[in-house]
Formats: sequence, C-alpha cells, structure tokens
Amino acid sequence: MKAQRLIIHLLSVLLLILWGGVMIYFHISGRVIHYLPSDGLFRPLMLVGGIGMIVLGLFNLMTYSQDEGDCCSHDHDHGHDNKHGGGHDHVHDENCSHDHGHKHTEGCGHDHAHEHGDHAHGHTHDHAHEAEHDHAHGILEEGGWLGRLVAVTILALPLTLAAVRTPDQFSATAILNKNFYNPTYGTGARAEQFSLASKMEAGKTAPKPLPPAAAAKPDAPPPGVAAAEAAMADGTKKVTNKDLPAPAQDSKSYGTFTLEDLKAQVPQSKDGNFILEVPELYYTGGDVEVQKVLTGQMVETIAQVLPEKVNNDDGHRLRVFRMLVQCCAADARPYSVPVDFGKKAPEFKDMTWVKVVGKMNYKKEGDQTVPIIEATKIEETTAPDNAMIY
Amino acid sequence: MYFFAALPEPSRLGDVLMSFLSIIFEGAPYILIGTVLSGFIAAFLPAKLLERLLPKNRVLSTLIAGFMGLIFPVCECAVVPVVRRLLQKGLPLSCAITYLVSAPIINPIVIFSTMSAFQNVEAKAGVLGSGGMAFARVSLGYAIAVIIGLLMLRKKPAEVLKASVAAGVAKAAAETEAPATPPFNHRLVHAMRTSMRDFLDTAMYFSIGVIITSIFNTQIDQAKVDLVAGTDWAAIPSLMGLAFVLALCSTSDAFIAAPMAAFSSAAKLAFLTFGPMLDVKLVFMYAAVFRRKFVIWLSVAMFVLVAGLAKPWTLLIDQIQPKPAAAVKTTPP
Repeated sequence: MKAQRLIIHLLSVLLLILWGGVMIYFHISGRVIHYLPSDGLFRPLMLVGGIGMIVLGLFNLMTYSQDEGDCCSHDHDHGHDNKHGGGHDHVHDENCSHDHGHKHTEGCGHDHAHEHGDHAHGHTHDHAHEAEHDHAHGILEEGGWLGRLVAVTILALPLTLAAVRTPDQFSATAILNKNFYNPTYGTGARAEQFSLASKMEAGKTAPKPLPPAAAAKPDAPPPGVAAAEAAMADGTKKVTNKDLPAPAQDSKSYGTFTLEDLKAQVPQSKDGNFILEVPELYYTGGDVEVQKVLTGQMVETIAQVLPEKVNNDDGHRLRVFRMLVQCCAADARPYSVPVDFGKKAPEFKDMTWVKVVGKMNYKKEGDQTVPIIEATKIEETTAPDNAMIY
Repeated sequence: MYFFAALPEPSRLGDVLMSFLSIIFEGAPYILIGTVLSGFIAAFLPAKLLERLLPKNRVLSTLIAGFMGLIFPVCECAVVPVVRRLLQKGLPLSCAITYLVSAPIINPIVIFSTMSAFQNVEAKAGVLGSGGMAFARVSLGYAIAVIIGLLMLRKKPAEVLKASVAAGVAKAAAETEAPATPPFNHRLVHAMRTSMRDFLDTAMYFSIGVIITSIFNTQIDQAKVDLVAGTDWAAIPSLMGLAFVLALCSTSDAFIAAPMAAFSSAAKLAFLTFGPMLDVKLVFMYAAVFRRKFVIWLSVAMFVLVAGLAKPWTLLIDQIQPKPAAAVKTTPP
C-alpha cells in the first residue's frame, strides 16, 4: 500500500512538473509570442503559473514523508481506503438512489456519518475514514488502475503532443473557418486600438471626448421602432450600413482628419509610403474622414495572403490578412482587406507572407465601403517576429 | 531558441494542437490559483466559519452568495475546485451553487472587460451600449444564479454531489465541535497536497474540454453560424451553442461577442451570460464535483433560463439604459 501511495504521489509530482515545465519552456524560449498577447496579464501569469506548478510539485515531493495534520496521518488506513475507494463509491451511489432508500431518510450525507452500523465492521471502518479523508483525494487516489491510467494519459499525452508537434501557426483551413470572407470593415471591438482618427483624438486631448455619435444627429437614426425591428431581421445590412458613409448619413465622421494627422501618427517608409497594419486599414472602412485623406495615398503593409473569393470574378484580386488575438491564439480572428492588381493577380502559395505596396482606394461594394489596396508592388517576405497582432 | 530543429508544417492537427496549447497557457495558471486557494481553504479555513458569517436565512444567504464573486473574483476555471472546498467547509448548497454560477460573471475583471469590449457600441433603441451590456450581463447572471440557488434550497448535498464529495460535506456537518488544530506545517503539507490533487483533478477535465473546444474552434466553419443570426428565436440558442463549444474565458468572451455585427444585443447577452456558466470544459469540470444527473439538470436549467430571459432582459435594460440621444425615441420620423 505504501508503494502504491508512493507511485501515485510521484506520478502527481511528475505531472505537475510536466505542466509547469511546458509553460516555462514556451515562455522563456519566446515561443509564447504565438500564443498569448504581449500586454496584459496572460504572459507573466503563464510564467508564474509554470513556476508555481513546479514549486508545488517539488514541495510535495520533499514533504512526502510528512504528516498531513488531521488527515491521512495513518498510512495503513490510507492504503486501505485506496484499495476500496472506487468500488465502494459506486455501491454507495446505488444505495442512495435505490435499495436503501427506506432507511436513509436523512439522505446519503447523513448516512456516511451515522448509519452504517449494520454493515461489516471493516466496511464501517473504511467508511469513516473515507469521510474523513476523502476531501484530499483526487482522481489518481480514487478508482482502479485503469481509471488512473486514463487520467494520467489525459493529463500527460495531449499536452506533450501539443508541445512537441505544434507548428506555432495556423493553417489556411483554420483561418478560412473563422469567417474569413465575411469582413465587416470598420466595425469591431478593437476600433479604439486600430482606428487612426480615435488615436489622434486620444492624443490631442487628455480626457478623450466621446466621438460625436450618430444618435446626436437628429437625421441619423432610421425612423421608428420598425427600423430597429428590421435591423434584427436583417442584421448584417442594417448594422453595417449605420457604420458606413452612405449618402444619407455621415454618422461615422469622427471630426476632422488631415494629411498632417496621418503623417503625425503613421510611420513612413523611405519611399514615403505609409506603413499601416492590415487591421488599421480594415478599420478605416468605418471613418469617412480618414478615407478622404487616405484615398490615393501610397501605403505599405506586411501580411499573409489567401485567394480572394469576394467580388473577384476577373481574378484581379488577392486578400491579405493578419491574425488579431484577444486573449490567446485560440480566439485569433483574421482581419483582411482585398488587394487589387488591375490585371490578373500574381499567384502565391496560400499563407505566404508578402509585402504589399499600393495606393489606397475605397469602393462601395455590396452594402459596405471596402478598403482596397491597389497594388503597385507585391513581393514575398519573411514573417515578422510577431506574426499575431494583439 | 527552439529545441526542435524545425517546427512541423501547419496542418489540421497542428491547428488543433496550437489552439489547445494556447487555451492551456491561458487557463492553467487560473486553475492553479483556484486549486491553491482550494487547498488553503481545506487546510486553514475554520469549518463553519462561512456558515456563521452568512445569515441564517437561506434565501437571504443565497442572495448574498451571488455577490461573493466581487470578494473572491475567480473565473470559471478556478471556481469549480474552490466551490468544492467551500461546500466541505459548510457553505450551504444553495449558496455554493449560486456562487458557482455567478462568480465567473459578477467579478470586477469581467465587468471591466465587458465594458471595454462594447465601448464602441452605441446605446440606442434596441441596442445595448457598453454600460447597458455590462449591466445586463451582471444582472441577468445574478438573477439566474439566484434562481438556480433557490431551486437548490430543498436539495440535500448527497442528491447533488458525487458520493466522494458528499462524504466530505457530511463529515463537516457531523462535526459538532472544532477538531484540535493541527500544527502549522501539517496544515501546510495538507494544503499543498490538496492543491496538487485538486489541480490534477481539474486539469484533467479541463484538458478534455479544451481538446473538444480546439477541434471545434479550428475545424468548423464559423460562417455557418451566421446563417441563423437573423431571427432571435434562432440567434439566441445558436450563440449559446457557440458559447458552449468555444468555451472562452469569461474575462475575454466579450471581445468575441462585441464584433458580431449580425447578432442582436439579446443574442450577445445570451452568449455572454451562458458561456461563463456552461461550456464544454465546464461540463467535464462539473462532473468532477456533481452527480451526472445533477450536471444534466443544471445544464438544462441554465439553458432554459438564459434562452428564455435574454430577450425580455434586453428589452428591460434597453428601457432604463441612458442613451446619448433621448431624442431618438421622441422625434417622430
């Protein structure tokens, strides 16, 4: 029994060290940049968590022979308990729901403590100990060896496999599955971070004034409740329309935006191209003032490429995207804009990293204003250090 | 500084593995926090203290338990082991379940992240703004947690908890006087051992859930979900289904919900309220504490309550939320 307890204890410690080790390795190797955002708590917490797991494991390793206070102070009892654990629980389960109902009017909980006098002595004994000890027993202590094997496998195998075999990047399949071809330019939760105008406003005045909202203008809202109802029935269109510089409403004009503003906040390459990230271009789809300034300007961006499937009957376009992460890579979403070549688009292998240089243009396509890079140059390039944008 | 000369090429398996690893990296530290907390609760929190602190009236104490997340803020990964220990320390079942359901929603981090995610959403008729959405989420989460807690008032721990967990509760209940206090290092060893066991327990169920989530997250075309976005009767349950399979952390799910332009506020509210209560990984984690029958009952109750209340709740909050232009409603077209 002692040997069994030792094995389980050592296994537990090893599993903790495995989990902690993987987390620490991914953190200090720098590979964490593909998984968790750079700002916020997640990365430091991952390191601290990894260290914590190893400390917890080592502490338990070193204190193996120590008593645990009121719990499990008698090794032989403990072993006894283990031996009976799983089967016993099960039997008890059935007791509660069926057979012994008549004598367990107080419910099973009560039972444990008081009512098993008529069972075999050993049983009662075991029972009392289980009640006393059980709160310290995990899956590895309960159940038979098969259950333990399964538990250890689930704890060790997927993590090890993932740590060894992860490519640190998603394939095209995963990206296409994330609603790749249904962008709603200019809208999204991260507008604050990536829209040019609002950055400017935040910089200019310390307490950021609220953008003059659509609702402040009497002509902005569609008339009546009927429109609101319609917005639900006809979701995409209405919601998107509101954010677009449609002729009827210029609701999303965030005040003035000039070429000087653009120059002040966007770095330029030595050729004078504005270096913008795809999410920034994506969010310009929601701001007419920025569009006015940016239209016709040369921009430059590094992104990954996939074929274009929207408004691309003539095959003149590609779509470039970057992955934007909220909290971890699993919630990464592609932000994309089309690149138009004006002629047959060059062919790239899916997911190739490219540098695109071109003139910005905005076209109304369907019910959206689409930011389009009219490419003058596209070339393959190496992936940036931070493939994911946070 | 790679250990392995070259990384594997991206593939479908690679997508799942990467997604799996990233959720583990995100969630495991929180599980550790939760389980270390649970270990210390087990070893150091005097039994019956909670019972003494909470009002004797179970209804009142359940109402209070709904706010415990503000004091012990834990997300849904950490709450499960903590609740297990609290139960064994004499926290009444109704309070424990209410805390379990409400803590991942009614906690400062989640409220803050919800408000920042929705900050660009304008409040207007039928659409909840950031304050409105955060308030709706917190209030609906609270209401449902309390309803479920009150439904538990008449239940005995043994009807709900796994036999092994119920045994610990029964023991706590049977103790009429405090046992002799063991020395500090014994308690510390006990706390750390409990933490280790709880961590491995929780991590195993978490792993199963994360595997399923990762497969869904990377292998299912999410554009298909949008097809049902049009009408509320389809949109609300389908976003709840999405919350279930995506199993996002409650601190981050608002950022996923906010940009779903095609969905109504009611559907997003359902997504944000249901997700922290129930998802793939939570089902498995609940199974570590509760009887299977109860997990099913709890899941159904949560689903029905969220699905049924999301729309009326949105309309209600819509009535009281401040709108930038009250003129919207009064100006005739």
